[in-house]
Amino acid sequence: MSSEFKYDPEVNYDEATMAQQRQIEKEVATKQQLIGPQEDLSQLEMEFAEDAVYFQKTKCLQKKYSHMRRTRGDGNCFYRAFCFAYFETLLHNRTEYDRFKDIAARSKEMLLSLGFPQFTLEDFHDVFMEVLEKVGSQCALDDLLDTFNDQGHSDYLVVYLRLLVSGHLQKEDEFYSNFVEGGRSVQEFCSQEVEPMGKESDHIHISALTAATGVSIQVEYLDRGSDDSVIGHVFPEGTTPQIYLLYKPGHYDILYK
Amino acid sequence: MANIAIQRIKREFKEVVKSEEVAKCNIRVEPKNDNFTELRGEIQGPPETPYEGGMYILDIKIPETYPFNPPKVQFVTKIWHPNISSVTGAICLDILKDQWAAAMTLRTVLLSLQALLAAAEPDDPQDAVVAKQYKENLEMFNTTARHWANVYAGATKREVECDSKIQQLKNMGFEEHKARVALSTYNWNVERAMEHILT
Repeated sequence: MSSEFKYDPEVNYDEATMAQQRQIEKEVATKQQLIGPQEDLSQLEMEFAEDAVYFQKTKCLQKKYSHMRRTRGDGNCFYRAFCFAYFETLLHNRTEYDRFKDIAARSKEMLLSLGFPQFTLEDFHDVFMEVLEKVGSQCALDDLLDTFNDQGHSDYLVVYLRLLVSGHLQKEDEFYSNFVEGGRSVQEFCSQEVEPMGKESDHIHISALTAATGVSIQVEYLDRGSDDSVIGHVFPEGTTPQIYLLYKPGHYDILYK
Repeated sequence: MANIAIQRIKREFKEVVKSEEVAKCNIRVEPKNDNFTELRGEIQGPPETPYEGGMYILDIKIPETYPFNPPKVQFVTKIWHPNISSVTGAICLDILKDQWAAAMTLRTVLLSLQALLAAAEPDDPQDAVVAKQYKENLEMFNTTARHWANVYAGATKREVECDSKIQQLKNMGFEEHKARVALSTYNWNVERAMEHILT
């Protein structure tokens, strides 16, 4: 080991840590778009050629799905993957579009009533509705991809979904308090694990987002479980999935049948 | 990207200016340059704290990725507080680090800092020396914090004993701020403070 760490009161260690984080984010950003192009699922097989367990599972996954879209691993991938995959389906489904637009429009009042600050909430809600309008005008898929790959716009969408999740958890506080770990209140959980950008998503986030939006999703879990199969889980349970996501420990991508 | 940050700050700026806290003169914010990337904040020390009557100036830098990343905030006015460095003015506050959320605003930040002055969190310190004093000798901490508030932030309550001990060291040729730091660190024990400065 090199010389022992000596605390220097002149140095701001928090800022140093944050600067390092920004640097890592920049490196990730150059390697992967926020939402990548659709690619053949066999690409995934090549990625895991050296890993017997994952290789087998990828084979198995290919029986159910044909394509995938990679997303950037920035801690927001679940929200971004969900939003893009769902908006993509809305381009061709007017009935579902109308249903969701109504929910999205009314969600602002729900969040305001929970005490979210009007000033910033409106900002995020406006941009979310703007992009939704664009989807309603049946814009080209490339146009939607551009919007999602424009960091500023894209992050506005992520923020709004984070607020929706936080709002739903707090509204159903009594139910969700059973699932919050570490002796925290639902509100604490929301301000620590939901509202800040870059905080990863777990079952509880997925469950809240699907409940708040009425959108059904199926997540395929690609992990080191014992057998060769890939376990799929539908949220909310018993519904018919509208979009499919692939989970690899710590990350979500989009799947297509 | 940077455009989002500037638009947002301009709007927030109006929000703070219009807020009721401004009417009460508790918080203020003004731009330091035309493109709103550097701001000067002001918060008043909360009543019934050692900081009462003091006015604290803050240096606020808006990152290009705002509001998705937090603003960088530091105290310009010197302050004796467990969660603020007495050396650099750096702040230890969760919402300025990993618990920042894009729905928060400058107003949230200034009000949270004011709340931090009223309720220190010595178990999550920025300044270990101050935190130690806070935990081991709260009365001594309050005296020291009041003295710093009087000298640096314009609070009216003088700590006569502190003033005279600093004068004592100044008379011996020591620089004032150095003397203050040493005395504050060594619980106003003149011999130990001198020993510290001389080593």
